[in-house]
Amino acid sequence: MENKSPLSPHIQIYKWHISSLVSISHRITGIINIIGITFICSLVSFIVFGENNYEMINLFLISSIGKFIILGLTWSFSFQVLSEIRHLIMDLGYGFELKTTKITGLVVIFGSIFLTVIFYLIGKNFF
Amino acid sequence: MVQINLPENSQIKKGKYFKDKTGSKNLRKVNIYRWDPSSGENPRIDTYEVDMDNCPTKVLDILNKIKNEIDPTIAYRRSCAHGVCGSCAMNMGGKNGLACTTPHSEIDGDIDIYPLPHLKVKKDLIGDLDGLYKQYQSIEPWLKSNSESVTQEIIQSKEDRAKLDGAYECIMCACCSTSCPSYWWNGDKYLGPAVLLQAYRWIVDSRDEERQARLKKVADELKLYRCHTILNCTSACPKGLNPAKAIAEIKKMLATANF
Repeated sequence: MENKSPLSPHIQIYKWHISSLVSISHRITGIINIIGITFICSLVSFIVFGENNYEMINLFLISSIGKFIILGLTWSFSFQVLSEIRHLIMDLGYGFELKTTKITGLVVIFGSIFLTVIFYLIGKNFF
Repeated sequence: MVQINLPENSQIKKGKYFKDKTGSKNLRKVNIYRWDPSSGENPRIDTYEVDMDNCPTKVLDILNKIKNEIDPTIAYRRSCAHGVCGSCAMNMGGKNGLACTTPHSEIDGDIDIYPLPHLKVKKDLIGDLDGLYKQYQSIEPWLKSNSESVTQEIIQSKEDRAKLDGAYECIMCACCSTSCPSYWWNGDKYLGPAVLLQAYRWIVDSRDEERQARLKKVADELKLYRCHTILNCTSACPKGLNPAKAIAEIKKMLATANF
């Protein structure tokens, strides 16, 4: 009879809140960063093979897909850094009150968007 | 292991619909997870229309009302009805809590009631907590003293006693552990927030003489470090305790300890 027992629903029904959302995003952005940064680095290392490669990379980076990748990577990197700072503070034993976790979670989410915009504007020589 | 989908025998089917018979204008739909071990069928969601004009304020009151007036076959655990015993822990409106202390006015829309997440269901809203109790036993939750005579009371300073605040109040309702995704995926090895909070309670107890042994025992990649500060536990705790902080404190003690 024991084996027949169903498993009660879990992730399907559990309500998301800011901390759980930031936590899962931290993992996802971590994976994106590893793949994305490795990709960009290997792309750039092709420059050593000559000018033609540079043209090709440049063409790729100014295309809309290239821009999307760069912008996305800027966001996921910003998110990762801010979230990591949040985790470091938690590792020291601070910031575990429910209200504080909510605020720091929101700081991570909106801060990462803010940083992405800043980096974009810097890239556009806005300042 | 991470397994997002429910196994075949746990897929939820649509169940019966119990229409209101009182003629009340103030109705709320209550969706309840049902599973009958004798039927051999998959679990289902039964929907009840409940007259809210004659129903007290808590979710447990709704369940009692349904059991008394609409459908006596529904099974759930409850005892004290005052948030002390921890029997009526369940998932309401997508969040774990005690049915007796959760007001139904806090839940928007239809009221969804499920058993505690990721447990083997025994019947309807009753989940199997054996695994959790075994883990609780594994941390040896009792005072350990090497002293010869324990006939006298062991004096504790006010400061040392204060360290237990926020840990001793735990009623072991399992709301936190069953809200934790890490515990869902690794519940067989990871101790989970409830048990780790209790481990912490004995580690910081000034009267206990096995502090080092306790710390060593819990210092394990799977037992302790599967906590990734998702903080579902702290937000679920019906007693307002903070298991996540207790786990962080254990990690901190281990990082600074030199065995």
